[in-house]
Amino acid sequence: MNDKTAPRSIEQYLAALRAALAGEDPALIQDALYDAEEYLRAEVAANPGRSESDTLELIASTYGAPEEVAAAYRTTEKQVRTALAAPPRKTPRTALGRFFSVYGDSRTWTALFYMLLALVTGIFYFTVTVTGLSLSAGLIVLIVGIPFFLLFVGFTRVLALAEGRLVEGLLGQRMPRRPLYPAKGIPILERIKQMLVDRRTWTTMFYFLLMMPLGIIYFMIATVGICVSIGLVGGSIASLLLTTGIGSGGFTLDDQSIYFGPSPIAAPFLLLAGVALLTAVMHLIRAIGRGHGTLAKHLLVARADAGG
Amino acid sequence: VDADTERLSQKFQRELNAGLVGLVLLAVLEQANEDLYGYQIAKRLQKLADGSPPVKQGALYPVLRQLSANGLLASRIVPSYAGPPRRYYRITGAGRAMLAQWRDIWRGTRDFVDGFTEANGATS
Repeated sequence: MNDKTAPRSIEQYLAALRAALAGEDPALIQDALYDAEEYLRAEVAANPGRSESDTLELIASTYGAPEEVAAAYRTTEKQVRTALAAPPRKTPRTALGRFFSVYGDSRTWTALFYMLLALVTGIFYFTVTVTGLSLSAGLIVLIVGIPFFLLFVGFTRVLALAEGRLVEGLLGQRMPRRPLYPAKGIPILERIKQMLVDRRTWTTMFYFLLMMPLGIIYFMIATVGICVSIGLVGGSIASLLLTTGIGSGGFTLDDQSIYFGPSPIAAPFLLLAGVALLTAVMHLIRAIGRGHGTLAKHLLVARADAGG
Repeated sequence: VDADTERLSQKFQRELNAGLVGLVLLAVLEQANEDLYGYQIAKRLQKLADGSPPVKQGALYPVLRQLSANGLLASRIVPSYAGPPRRYYRITGAGRAMLAQWRDIWRGTRDFVDGFTEANGATS
């Protein structure tokens, strides 16, 4: 069908597929290349009598030419995005309605969960990275230094994939669903060199280091923001209940009744302020979730044009 | 004109495949009594279709991932000597229930379409 030079090796086929997918989501490209490689290597292994280039010649009629496969991924991705996307919510018409619609958005709540979790994952990533880097540096003079470093880089990739799943699930940013598969048949020294010059190795570690301060900040924003707002709302309600006589009580200290709540006049205003603050915090949480998704995408996913 | 009809036929086939591939994949995995990975599934389809199934095997993988993401398939990863680790799929309970529904929809659609296309083909 196409008379362009058909790929004659797995590497050429993958390069052609990468080129055909240029401009797509890097995570999609990584998945497509992974799937193609699984199929092509299995096909070559299943036909030991045939040379790789002969097998590749037949690939266009079975697996599909790179352009066809690229088209299949594009359309499926579009359908999945449409099918998996939450049904479009009616955007409230009034500004006030839009302001409060943040509570109905599931992304707000998943982002909140991510921000709370980030304290734990952030510390974990930081510890792993710092330990791995310093042990690698310390052991580099010994023979075990090299395998240790390889193991460590491999582990950061697994961790990056796991974090990617978390980011996609909670923040809604499309991330790779398959690991990046290292090229085969490369001598170990060459592979180490590739790891060292691969921009993604370092951006991944940078992301993991960054996750500790970010995790602490996220956790603080979420907890402090929500606690302060709920305190304002709760305090105002308590004050209103006390003045209307519905509620009674308070704290006593040395038999002195003490009361730190707002005055009955200020209470309604503080109640409104609390509700407004809580909603604003929710907006901030949703925005941070979106921003962090973009950050993770940039640091954890290799750019498609980066080769490799 | 020939190139045009060819192109339109291919487009027609592609559009038909869009929904049917998922049904076929679910059916294949329901009949299988073991977990299968992408390449094995592709080969089963190829064998059944006498070597040239109407859908290119490269188009199966994205659909497998889609079904898995929707919880209709479960998967596990097994390392392989030949290439990257393989992802083995098996059908879930939700997948079986969905397959039963899709099968009914497919039968209904097929009978409906047959009712027109077969009758016209016979008279003209």
